Amino acid sequence: MMRQLSSMKFAAWELHVFLDTHPGNCEAAKKLDEYRKKIEVLTKQYEDAYGPIHETTNQASRWAWISGPWPWETGEEEDDD
Amino acid sequence: MFVYEKRLQYPIKIKNPNPALAKLIISQYGGPHGELGASLRYLSQRYNMPYPELKAILTDIGTEELGHLEMVGAIVYQLTRNVSPEDIKKAGWDAYFIDHTTGVYPVAASGTPFSADSIAVTGDPIADLNENLAAEQKARLTYDNILRYADDPDVREPIKFLRAREIVHYQRFGEGLRILTDKLDSRNFYAFNPSFDKKKKS
Repeated sequence: MMRQLSSMKFAAWELHVFLDTHPGNCEAAKKLDEYRKKIEVLTKQYEDAYGPIHETTNQASRWAWISGPWPWETGEEEDDD
Repeated sequence: MFVYEKRLQYPIKIKNPNPALAKLIISQYGGPHGELGASLRYLSQRYNMPYPELKAILTDIGTEELGHLEMVGAIVYQLTRNVSPEDIKKAGWDAYFIDHTTGVYPVAASGTPFSADSIAVTGDPIADLNENLAAEQKARLTYDNILRYADDPDVREPIKFLRAREIVHYQRFGEGLRILTDKLDSRNFYAFNPSFDKKKKS
């Protein structure tokens, strides 16, 4: 699931950076919007299952935030997709 | 304001430690073409950028470089996990080990600690953007050189990702430079420094 979320977030980031120097590109802006909607859904699913990835996540328990693995440790949960 | 996101930009799961390789890759953590210098360079240069596109691109690429710093740190950390002092000596990592054990310290492959001498913030956007184009190429060639020595796919894949990002950033900085020069005096881009002399009407 993290792999799927990361690839969508990467696509969104790439479009975001592209739009910095092409702010009038409607096609890229539309694609970015589509990715953001998918990311929102997937982030919620991921956080419900594995704990928060943002310090602003609402339902986050303190224990879930401090729990490993941290990103530099063995990695995310074993990919289940 | 910066907020941490608890994930890496690209996954890193290295099964086999290899301190000899860590000794080379750490250069992209604290070396002259590394990610620490990149993030500091862009995030410091942005204050003097004259146009919205340029402020945005330096902020966003500078932020992404912090994510890359984290990735390189994770690679070094994982390459030196569970190694014995004997392994470290065999790998030629012992001189580093004496001062830092298996901590991740910003240093070049040659052993020189990180220095702001390796970056420039000139206050002149033409000079800074040209510096950044060169910096992205220098980072790219360092990753190319790392790939000459890395045969573990667990290491190669994230390094190839980072290398590709340098090329994309180079492209974006090129566009930034074009946006800048389009707004300057077309007969002489260097007639004035748009960040410093902007109040004088040319």
